[in-house]
Amino acid sequence: MPITDRQIAELSRDLYSWSLRKVPDDTKAALRSARDAETSETARKTLNMMLTSAQAAEDGDRFVCSDSGVPVYFVRIGTKADWDADIKTAIRDGFTELVETIDPPILKHVTNPLTLERGYFGKDMPIVTYDLISGADYIEIVCSPKALGSGRWAAMELFTLPTMETIEAYILDVAIKAGSQHCPPVVMGVGIGGTFDYCAKMAKEATLRPIGSVNADPTLAALERRLTDAVNATGFGPMGTGGDTTALAVHANYAAGHAFTPVAVSFNCWINRRTRARIYGDGTVERIE
Amino acid sequence: MAEIRNCRLPLSEEDAASLRLGDMVTLDGRIVVTAGIPTHKRIVDCIHGKETLPVDLDHAAFFHLGSLSREKEDGTAGLDVLYMNPTTSTRFNDVMPEIIRHFKLRCVGGKGGLDAECARALGEVGGVYLSFLGGGSPLLSDAIRRVVDVAWTDMISHYRLVTLEVSALGPLTVAIDARGESLYDQIADQAVNRREAILESMRQARSRIG
Repeated sequence: MPITDRQIAELSRDLYSWSLRKVPDDTKAALRSARDAETSETARKTLNMMLTSAQAAEDGDRFVCSDSGVPVYFVRIGTKADWDADIKTAIRDGFTELVETIDPPILKHVTNPLTLERGYFGKDMPIVTYDLISGADYIEIVCSPKALGSGRWAAMELFTLPTMETIEAYILDVAIKAGSQHCPPVVMGVGIGGTFDYCAKMAKEATLRPIGSVNADPTLAALERRLTDAVNATGFGPMGTGGDTTALAVHANYAAGHAFTPVAVSFNCWINRRTRARIYGDGTVERIE
Repeated sequence: MAEIRNCRLPLSEEDAASLRLGDMVTLDGRIVVTAGIPTHKRIVDCIHGKETLPVDLDHAAFFHLGSLSREKEDGTAGLDVLYMNPTTSTRFNDVMPEIIRHFKLRCVGGKGGLDAECARALGEVGGVYLSFLGGGSPLLSDAIRRVVDVAWTDMISHYRLVTLEVSALGPLTVAIDARGESLYDQIADQAVNRREAILESMRQARSRIG
């Protein structure tokens, strides 16, 4: 039995709804570690409130945040997956179903940038990125809705043959500019190289990596450690009211490019919205997170 | 740090003056909330006499919180507020000084803070800025005791001007005090001052790897 439109629509709908109500386990663990290590009392109390809020949302099946964001999905299609579906339409249908059925209702955040009119729907919504997974017999869908609080601080700059020092100083400066305003502690995603469009995608995808995972590339692993320490040394702290924890993690991806080098930085706020599931040809749905 | 202190709204001049940066408080009483830039512009229009403001903001607690309001399910009159949560206050930097000064707001708040001009305005009128927990919707919504009024229902939900009766709202962190001192400015200055030393630490860490 091939994977159907209905299965993809239902999963898209559910992944979004779950993402609004549950802070991922790795993120809660990182918040707990941060709380235990904090030297600022205000920061410890703030981190405790975050953990209490996350638990209250999970236990009561409630939204963690009122900004439900705009719908963003990543779809990775296994090259051995058996599917017979109009995936684009199915995801759009799933989001429409979410808007019509979710309880409580979500707020109207989707904005037409030309008129500033706001509603539930708009051109090119949901935003979906497609990719392939060699040899896999499933379709994987990641839902990571983007809200205003952290979404507006993403940045990119194009350098020419930059040194590592230039790259790292830029990333630190982007973090200093965001300052207290992106609901820290954040997860930072960094893209280095490739082209303008590909670099932004790498940065966004880097935010989705589990916290605590070590980058397979030793150069990037070292860069991530340096930048995590650097951003936390700024002192903005939880909710930007001071403390040792401004970033829960910095995750970086790189790609080869020309002599011009884009560097992109993306932020996820402390609730780090991210859900992921796989759907198989036999109808099984495996929720990964 | 002192224990979390409960304050009654409207906040008295003395209570506002007694709050120190970093103090945590909970609030009881009446608050007015909105998350809309168009709402703020409309409030400024009201100040200039173009429209009548439907709520009393004098010395009020006015917060940057977005909320979902809808018709009551039992069919009775008025609206229910199902949840609320803060939005980034710096988005309102350009209009807040006038609003703070005109209404002599005793309490403003949201998340992410306000700029130096807003802090100056708060210092002039003896008001404070309180930092709410972003992603605190379950905790903040549980503090709602009664929906007093939902004004400007011609606007989308989170732009409306909503008056609520709350109990034990918070804890909230005092981030700009009644003298206009701003924790945000202090922390941002500190980060900028630390920048060179942080870059040097990264330089040393890179050289250790070779």
